[in-house]
Amino acid sequence: MSPVDPSPLGGPADSLATSSALRAMADRLEDAGVERAMRDGWSWSQVAEALGVTRQAVHKKHLMRLLAARIDLRRRDV
Amino acid sequence: MFRFLAVERLAPLFVPRETAMVVVRQFAIEAKQDAAKFIEAEHMLLTLAANEESDACTLLNESGLTYRQIVCALRDERRRSLGFAGVEPLDEKQTEATELERSLTLGTSAKVALKRAMVASRDGRPHRPRIQGTDLLIGILQAELGTVPRTLAIAGVDRAVLIARARKPMRETRC
Repeated sequence: MSPVDPSPLGGPADSLATSSALRAMADRLEDAGVERAMRDGWSWSQVAEALGVTRQAVHKKHLMRLLAARIDLRRRDV
Repeated sequence: MFRFLAVERLAPLFVPRETAMVVVRQFAIEAKQDAAKFIEAEHMLLTLAANEESDACTLLNESGLTYRQIVCALRDERRRSLGFAGVEPLDEKQTEATELERSLTLGTSAKVALKRAMVASRDGRPHRPRIQGTDLLIGILQAELGTVPRTLAIAGVDRAVLIARARKPMRETRC
């Protein structure tokens, strides 16, 4: 196939930009949702179950940020 | 190259030295204002447009791109990209979350722009090892796909013309 000179707008460029924008939006929603859930007293397991990932994955990804947010994480299941 | 590099470590790459640290720190400020996880090329472009003393800013303004217009064009690009999937941009309150205080690192588009800027800084001037604002502008504008070219296309700016103008020597060297 000869090399193509794709436009930054329209066609596959729109699909790919949409995918990237949705991923960024999903990340921001997850950060906000996890923080809100933990402020409301959810356990790590509940947050993990709602996200469909393991408890360890949530813990690893969000612990430092939640500590920075000064959320009291004591007396929750691990 | 530039992997996991704290943004402050980039300052020695730029001239003039007096403003280099301010410029690289502004990359991170723009990224944080955008709630981005990494510094991307669009944050570098905003930094150049914000530095009103620079030749890069003058070139952008002459092409109808002020800082405010770039912010609006970036917003339009995001709206268009999300709109393709039938999604509206979220209200800021819906995504309000605590950010970790950390030094942001470069995302892929910023790394590529920086590499291209280094090449541009050597273009016809093999002994000039440092990046000027216009070199970085060239590096950013050379991307043919992604957020910046989409934004500029939406704003009706001809990247090729802007690159050609940035390659012309300016009156004096400014970052």
